[in-house]
Amino acid sequence: MKRTITTLAVVAMTSLVLTSCGRDNDGGGGDAQSKAVSDGPATGTIEVWAMGTEGEKLQAFSADFEKANPDAKVKVTAIPWDGAHNKIANAIASGKTPDVSLIGTTWMGEFAEAGGLMPTPEGLVDKADFFPGAWGSTEVGGTSYGVPWYVETRALYYRKDMAKKAGWSKAPQTWEELHQFATDMKEKGGAEYGLNLQPGQTGSWQSMLPFAWSNGAEVTNQDGTEYTLDTPEMAEALDYYSSYFDEGLSSTRTLDPGELESGFADGTYASFISGPWHTGLVEEAGVTQDQYAIAPLPGKDAMPGTSFVGGGDLAVFKDADNTDAAWKYVRWLSEPETQQGFYDVVGDLPAVQAAWDTGKLSTDPQLQVFGTQLENTLAPPAVPTWEQVAAMIDSLVEQVSKGVTSPEEATKEMQSKAKSIGTGL
Amino acid sequence: MRRQQAVAAWILALPFVALFLLFTAGPVLASLGMSFTDMRSTDVRGPLGVEFVGLQNYADLIGDPLFRKVTVNTLLYLLLGVPLTMAVALAVAVALNRITRLRGFFRVGYYLPVVTSIVAVSVVWKFLLRDRGGLLNVMLDWVGINGPGYLDSTTWALPSLVAMSVWRNFGTLMVVFLAGLQTVPREIIEAAEADGASAWGRFRYITLPMLRPTLLFGAVITSIGYLQFFEEAFVMTKGGPLDSTKSVTFFAYEQFGYGNYAYASAAAYLLFLAIVVLTFVQFRWLRDKD
Amino acid sequence: MTQTVEAPASLSDEPVRRKPPKRAGRSLSTPRWLYGVMAVGLIVVVIPFIWMVVSSFKPEGEVRAVPPTWWPENVTTENYRHLFTQLDFPRYFLNSAIVAVAVAAGNMVFCSMLGYALAKLDFPGKKVIFALVLGTLMVPGVVTFVPLFVLTTNIGLTNTLPGMILPFLAGPFGVFLMRQFVLSLPDELIQAARVDGAGELRIFFSIILPLCGPAVATLGVLTFLTSWNNFLWPLVVATSEDKYTLPVALALYAVGQNATKYGLLLAGSVVVVIPVLAVFLVLQRRIMQGIAMTGIK
Repeated sequence: MKRTITTLAVVAMTSLVLTSCGRDNDGGGGDAQSKAVSDGPATGTIEVWAMGTEGEKLQAFSADFEKANPDAKVKVTAIPWDGAHNKIANAIASGKTPDVSLIGTTWMGEFAEAGGLMPTPEGLVDKADFFPGAWGSTEVGGTSYGVPWYVETRALYYRKDMAKKAGWSKAPQTWEELHQFATDMKEKGGAEYGLNLQPGQTGSWQSMLPFAWSNGAEVTNQDGTEYTLDTPEMAEALDYYSSYFDEGLSSTRTLDPGELESGFADGTYASFISGPWHTGLVEEAGVTQDQYAIAPLPGKDAMPGTSFVGGGDLAVFKDADNTDAAWKYVRWLSEPETQQGFYDVVGDLPAVQAAWDTGKLSTDPQLQVFGTQLENTLAPPAVPTWEQVAAMIDSLVEQVSKGVTSPEEATKEMQSKAKSIGTGL
Repeated sequence: MRRQQAVAAWILALPFVALFLLFTAGPVLASLGMSFTDMRSTDVRGPLGVEFVGLQNYADLIGDPLFRKVTVNTLLYLLLGVPLTMAVALAVAVALNRITRLRGFFRVGYYLPVVTSIVAVSVVWKFLLRDRGGLLNVMLDWVGINGPGYLDSTTWALPSLVAMSVWRNFGTLMVVFLAGLQTVPREIIEAAEADGASAWGRFRYITLPMLRPTLLFGAVITSIGYLQFFEEAFVMTKGGPLDSTKSVTFFAYEQFGYGNYAYASAAAYLLFLAIVVLTFVQFRWLRDKD
Repeated sequence: MTQTVEAPASLSDEPVRRKPPKRAGRSLSTPRWLYGVMAVGLIVVVIPFIWMVVSSFKPEGEVRAVPPTWWPENVTTENYRHLFTQLDFPRYFLNSAIVAVAVAAGNMVFCSMLGYALAKLDFPGKKVIFALVLGTLMVPGVVTFVPLFVLTTNIGLTNTLPGMILPFLAGPFGVFLMRQFVLSLPDELIQAARVDGAGELRIFFSIILPLCGPAVATLGVLTFLTSWNNFLWPLVVATSEDKYTLPVALALYAVGQNATKYGLLLAGSVVVVIPVLAVFLVLQRRIMQGIAMTGIK
């Protein structure tokens, strides 16, 4: 009994302390852009965090920057993707952040709203240089908090040998054609599933939303303060998406790692939608270059279709020690030559459009497909609650794919749930 | 005499208590306090600016249909998993204790599931449980039973994960039970055998009672583990299909991921309450003769 | 729980003599069939481990093949070469080793101390401490993560090995384990020692601790394993790569934004497992030695 009272007292006291202060609406969303950076070269140490292969290769790659800015030193720490979100969130919480970090495009909203990121300085870069969908991922509440670094988008991978057998000599261009394509692949091409779509579970929104976007649906209003999911366009797109499952053109099973590539190789799955990394994966599974092809996504009634754009943005932290040099480093990474050079070293698709004008990016036919698609992409809204709303959408996509809920009901539920979560801005 | 004991006890307790107060008590109290606010990850740089909402988070949780569902899932994991894990671990430990040859070899072998990378475990178990071509269904086919798609079925996914969990975790408990079995003096067992007691009788009337504290430990630890069930579902089914394998910890982990720190804390503390109640019951049942 | 034991012959200045138990012939022989059953069970239990080792020698494409292949079609050591050349392996290994050994050792010492006190000594605050220990054990770890990190930063322990060690040095699991184990040791032993005039701390170090061999060894193995495999905490605490532990480094090189290098991950997992098994093998013999100590004469 005595112990209970003590505990209650401690808790009450803690809560009292917390009540005494109120939440000030500082930090994140709607700030003005930062003042322009100084002229002249960068100085001092620039601490950079980057994940994955980008992290591994960036240190050596930055030697050119150090040559051009002899008084500056770049220190790159590579961190794993697995847990990176956690790590950056904790860094912001404790105030111990590096100067610059690579940030996943879907994390920008949350970190900006937390007050962890610095708005991009005026005049640092010209937003028209970047693919518009990619730039969208940096804007939170109308303010840009970073610069797109590299991008990825999704296109249609298909077995062109099986397509030929099914009577298709070129890729489908409209929703109707895609549907017919999948049916023919199944009935005449020898596939078990004509088109592999993700039936819910993590990330399925990245498969479903592009259809909604192609149909003109919008996820939020202009300034990102409200969700606008309950529209006829969304319901229509969801209905179209679920038709593949209803008709057995797509499997309602979630595939295991490696299953899609193996299935693509042996003809179980005739086509699927994914990003540039899959070329390596399918070829490792034994598919040869003359067996498969990549095409831009079909539009609803005509090309082009809208696809999902992801990738990584570069942001400078509010708690950074050397913000001036940090932004100069970011600017350097955004120059077309640097972007191209980075592609050569790491294989990431540049976010700067001019970088696609020369070199392999302009000649390789597979890369050109992605380049073309990049001109018609959308990023999900850069709002703090996006991860939660996306997971909620995933859950409804699963229900619709498995026939548990109808597309109309799902759309309504999506909106009401999103409304109660709010955008966080 | 008593004073000497008290002094010695506090000396022995000091290192632990100091470290504990600093690294454990503090964060626990902080997170408990957090559960009474509406803190989100966007508040981390100004944590004192959050609003105090009292028990609102807890009320919201109870009203959240997903939370209610994951609570039921978690209880299922507990009720299925704990008895099975303890039984298997005890059986194996007793057997390993009896074996005289190749002891080390067998012990390491039975401990391997605990240390095998979850990636490897998930690949093999997924293969085992596949609908078509999976080993289990192939074997069931031989006896004419048509097995379902275990991990894709809302009825079978959870029991399948329990089986995998039992397989994966019994090794830890086995090691603990082995240590406990070592303290049962061989003479007493031999004497009982000489007196004509059967193997089962020896086990039931001598070994088991002596193992009581260890069994209590096993029950409590395993229950705490199962109430916090997470990793297997995360890797194998990501909580699906249709949230049928999602646990309370998974739910809290997700909420933390979304940045709903206060809501997630509240969920975790509800789980904590459940653990406390269960542990209390277990202490009473396997009565701790202090 | 009472059991009839004879008091030790002489205690005051010598440690307890351990006499091997007398066996009146091999009365407890192991039935043959038990070996058979255990062997079958062993196979069931060991398969994923074997798959893990075998697959680490497959090229990446084959590792991801569905259905999984058992014997490699193309044996290759590229995963291991990749592992040892791309990663600064010795450094990560050393970091992991230092942290895991420190945490295991610390737990073995501190938890036995407190466990004994809780089990056999009478002192004010005993119930409170035990409740606190159990309470902490019951709080889901996910919840204290952020506050713990903020605390660690404020003390200045970010990016240090001590920062990875200290928060885990006194684990409630170990205290609970040792307490339960010590409870089963006979009180008479301690009473007799007291009667003989031995001091409390002396009793702990000279009498109880040696008897705790099996439990301490068990605690060592389990704590070592948890610490060795710990991923999230070292990830968050380390802000420069030279402080990474093995699991963090492995995730860095094998897990990408959109695709994972499973071959590398498996090779890494095999390498990561070896020290744990080594520790287990060494310590489990210590557990076995417990046999010699039962039969307290």
